[in-house]
Amino acid sequence: MKNQPLSLVTLVALAAGVAVASFVSSGTLLSLLTQAVIYALFASGVGLLLRQNGMVSFGHALFFGSSGYGLGILLQLKLMPAEAAILVTLAGLALAAFVIGLVIVRVPGVAFGMLTLAIGQMAFLTASRSRGLTGGADGMNIDWPSTLFGVAQSQLLKPGNMFLLCWVTLVVVLLALTLLLRSRFGSITEAVRDNEERARFIGIRTLVPRATVYALSGVVTGLAGLLSALNTGFVSPENLHWSLSGVALMMVVVGGPKALWGPALGAIVYFLFKDILGDLANHWMAIFGVALISVIVFSPTGLAGLLGRLFQGRPQRSVPAADAARPVVATGTAH
Amino acid sequence: MLTINLFNGLVYGALLIVMCSGLALIYGLRRVVNFAHGSLYMLGAYLGYSIATQSNFWVALVAAPAIMALFGVLLDRYGFRLLQDRDPLTVVLVTFGLLLVIEDFVQTVWGKSNLSVPTPELLNFTVDLFGTPVPAYRIAVIVVGAAVALGLSLWLRHSNYGLFVRAASTDPTTTAMQGVNTDALSAGVVGLGTALAGLAGVVAAPFLSLSPSMSSDVIIDSFVVVVVGGLGSLAGAFIAAMVLGMVQALGAVYLPDLAMLLPFVLMVAILIWKPAGFAGSRT
Repeated sequence: MKNQPLSLVTLVALAAGVAVASFVSSGTLLSLLTQAVIYALFASGVGLLLRQNGMVSFGHALFFGSSGYGLGILLQLKLMPAEAAILVTLAGLALAAFVIGLVIVRVPGVAFGMLTLAIGQMAFLTASRSRGLTGGADGMNIDWPSTLFGVAQSQLLKPGNMFLLCWVTLVVVLLALTLLLRSRFGSITEAVRDNEERARFIGIRTLVPRATVYALSGVVTGLAGLLSALNTGFVSPENLHWSLSGVALMMVVVGGPKALWGPALGAIVYFLFKDILGDLANHWMAIFGVALISVIVFSPTGLAGLLGRLFQGRPQRSVPAADAARPVVATGTAH
Repeated sequence: MLTINLFNGLVYGALLIVMCSGLALIYGLRRVVNFAHGSLYMLGAYLGYSIATQSNFWVALVAAPAIMALFGVLLDRYGFRLLQDRDPLTVVLVTFGLLLVIEDFVQTVWGKSNLSVPTPELLNFTVDLFGTPVPAYRIAVIVVGAAVALGLSLWLRHSNYGLFVRAASTDPTTTAMQGVNTDALSAGVVGLGTALAGLAGVVAAPFLSLSPSMSSDVIIDSFVVVVVGGLGSLAGAFIAAMVLGMVQALGAVYLPDLAMLLPFVLMVAILIWKPAGFAGSRT
């Protein structure tokens, strides 16, 4: 797919979104798809961290939930219009993620994952214990104004429009990330990921790029949190719970972290699969657990890798996290 | 008030010692952070519940860890051993998949409602501790924790197998070249670690109620313990488990609003100060 011009792929993706929004009439299906797309964005954030940093986060629900809470609190306090509140939330999230990133990306390997889990649970416990503004374990309603960016709330909340908004956001985010990662920033982060020590030897400062990737992945997931807050009008500690981070990670692995669109594909497959399961969905944990293990064991590059092989007839290049000791070729995996 | 809190901190610390020694042993030999360890603990507790209701608590105390040991050996033979050349993070994700499967299994077999195991008759009395009555069962839990800590330390330090385990944790390849069957050793150690998770579950059953959420509560505290102690370090884990138990106990008295957060604050602080944990030399 990478051989086609990016603009064409983007246009096709946008057109597909418009087509789905206008031809699918079932409200249930549309809201299912909307949810899938929101989680696709969530998983894209987690996948970005794994792809560009080789780090697995078990606590990305931190950003999903706190963007909702941040916005909810700003709207409750009525300090600024909703449009400004959205931007302030995202900026605050980026800053917080960058600062957290500066501290925790220094921790190697698996301990990093455990640390993200701990920070995520800290946020979850804080949100579920604190009464007052955030409503504790019951969660809080988000006080959206009647118009947002000049669009009436009632118009925005129609299933078709909501889906289209989420879809366009996803496509734009993936496009922006693709362009960003083609630049020098992409090469630097890949060099650092593949061998941090050698990257330092050739004069790259490694901490800031890694923290930046962490912040970026936090913002992408935070954006998903905002869309979810708009979609449901509600945020609760469940949005911060580690099981959500785990589900997102599962989507990343099933979809394949090698491609930027892999995690999104994983999320959509996850939701459609869960819907098809129907009554069996009570056992979704076991089913997805087995699916997760099978994908990791038999197809480490996930669905995206599988599709890539089908379309290109040759294997994708090596998985980022797999061999940190590999000699650095700065442009090794830059597409 | 303070006495009883410190005492309960000690009890929780002892339980964490039993949990975390299994986690640290498995990490030491297989370099796997077992995300399913909390689920194994839960499975042990529920197995213990079923055995205890069929016969009695003492049978459960032996039988449930034995079943878990078998499970651990199989897990190593058909899981970790086949994946040993893979990236450690990949194996972590496999244990996460296992966690989901076990959680579902437990909910399907035993249901979602809370279950409880009665305190065994023999220990169903209270002891006077500095003027505060405390249940004898909880003293027994502290004894179990101390016995596990002491037993493992002596075993690792003074037996041949202990020597092999320490050697294989440092360098599995060289150890194998010296003629130690590291595959069998790993199977044994993962079996032991899993049995310890099961033991922790059975021991916890009479004073914590059984519910499907019991695994996530304890796994996160266990992670804090092994990370703070230094991944793979048993001594570090023992100390960190006690520190965590005490921090929670004292936090409940002096900082009730923040008590829940203290373990995480401790973890973040230690990792910023020493990324490998306070007893860890390996990364």
